[in-house]
Amino acid sequence: MNIPGSGLAKGLAVTLKTMTRPVTTRQYPDEAPALPPRSRGVIALLEANCTVCMLCARECPDWCIYIDSHKETVETPGAARARQRNVLDRFDIDFSLCMYCGICVEVCPFDALYWSPEFEYAETDIRDLLHEKDRLGEWMPTVPAPPAHDPRGELSKEETTAEKKG
Amino acid sequence: MVRMTEMTVGVGSGADEFADMVLNIGPQHPSTHGVLRLKLTLDGERITACEPVIGYMHRGAEKLFEVRDYRQILMLANRHDWLSAFCSELGVALAVERLMGIEVPERAVWLRTALAELNRVLNHLMFLGSYPLEIGAITPMFYAFREREALQAVFEEASGGRIHYMFNRIGGLKEEVPSGWTGRAREAIDQVRRRMPDLDDLIRRNEIFMARTRGIGVLSPETAAAYGVSGPVARASGMDFDLRRDDPYLAYGELDVPVVTRTAGDCHARFECMLDQVYVSLDLAQRCLEKVDTLSGPVNVRLPKVVKAPEGHTYAWTENPLGVNGYYLVSRGEKTPWRLKLRTASYANVQALSTLLVGCLVPDMVSILGSMFFVVGDIDK
Repeated sequence: MNIPGSGLAKGLAVTLKTMTRPVTTRQYPDEAPALPPRSRGVIALLEANCTVCMLCARECPDWCIYIDSHKETVETPGAARARQRNVLDRFDIDFSLCMYCGICVEVCPFDALYWSPEFEYAETDIRDLLHEKDRLGEWMPTVPAPPAHDPRGELSKEETTAEKKG
Repeated sequence: MVRMTEMTVGVGSGADEFADMVLNIGPQHPSTHGVLRLKLTLDGERITACEPVIGYMHRGAEKLFEVRDYRQILMLANRHDWLSAFCSELGVALAVERLMGIEVPERAVWLRTALAELNRVLNHLMFLGSYPLEIGAITPMFYAFREREALQAVFEEASGGRIHYMFNRIGGLKEEVPSGWTGRAREAIDQVRRRMPDLDDLIRRNEIFMARTRGIGVLSPETAAAYGVSGPVARASGMDFDLRRDDPYLAYGELDVPVVTRTAGDCHARFECMLDQVYVSLDLAQRCLEKVDTLSGPVNVRLPKVVKAPEGHTYAWTENPLGVNGYYLVSRGEKTPWRLKLRTASYANVQALSTLLVGCLVPDMVSILGSMFFVVGDIDK
């Protein structure tokens, strides 16, 4: 059967081989990881697009989105009657509850929510994980462009909309 | 037959003179990977009885399923077994699709099959690293995680998640994969296959590892069958049963799935089953991705705004990385299921511990426990 010590020798051969190769470890805080655009790090809010339809808050599996709003009457000169419009007062996501499933981003009919790969928002107090709408808005510049789809598959939502408009 | 006596004694009454020693392993013991508790009755170093005490991590997943719609259920389903998230999502999706009579586009079927196999590799690599770690070999962990990293990058690029993918939807997948993804996935598979011998050479024939695992914890095929043990643990005892071949779902019917079996039934056989399964799954994933590159079309179907499964019931089962997962879905035509019973592989597999550990020595307990390959979340649900 086996020569005594052959298992050990084989193992050490692997170690020796690996020693000559470049290291796999990335020195994280010094070297930022390259994350793909779909990476689910944090949810960004584009406030201007939000119509307070509450779909995200309703569809959230653990109800970690809090929305408050009020109605405002807008008088447009020349219009027959004044229109009502929803104004967002509060839009908070509690990231200590969030399960990062992305359902809110998916259901938003007006593209007000986006995923950003940013992940460095750990806090020492759990209450600070509740991001209010300004904080959520600050994530917007970090949202990357979505990746192009595989040419064999269907076009992305963005491309289809652009084609219709074009 | 062991003579059993039960007695109630007060503290300090000197009961240790005539009672068996009861040793609690867990709920917080590193070798139980989580919060499994084993109540061992000892006679010296020898275990005379073992009672797995479960439920420390019970999160009521089945009850939560009843108050969540089908998309939200996928999110819950990928969490009970955190090492095989994709495969668990898939089982729920398959059950709902069957009840609703949805035909999944061919491209989605092949992509799902490829991803399910890659998820199996990820799961197995975790155990291939952690099992030797539990019995004293630290190094394999680093090699296993190096490979996991390569595959997780593939998953993250497509789904945005590294562990909880949330990539399945009723009727297919969430969205199309990025351009060039199949090529990069194939490269990652080649890389993992090329580097697997490192892990293999380190541990498979290592003398110390063999001494700790050979002939230890032999699970007979009869016991395995009696407890409903499945997956690599059962196949190591010679139970030649794999749903991918025996009741094909997804695209497995069109693939030739080699089933890895062993007959020894000991810890080493279980480990080897897993190790060899990695090579098989890498090949299967490769073949699926080649097929994906020849197909075009959508990866999901258009669903109504509110997804409701029609009244009725169905049972779907899948070969999850750790064994057979079953989903019994009963719907009364509402947007949430009336009942979704989950049969998880780990739950059945740990039951066998109560007979498997009897007669073993305490130091062997760690070898056996580690080789049963379970995830505590999958036991407690």
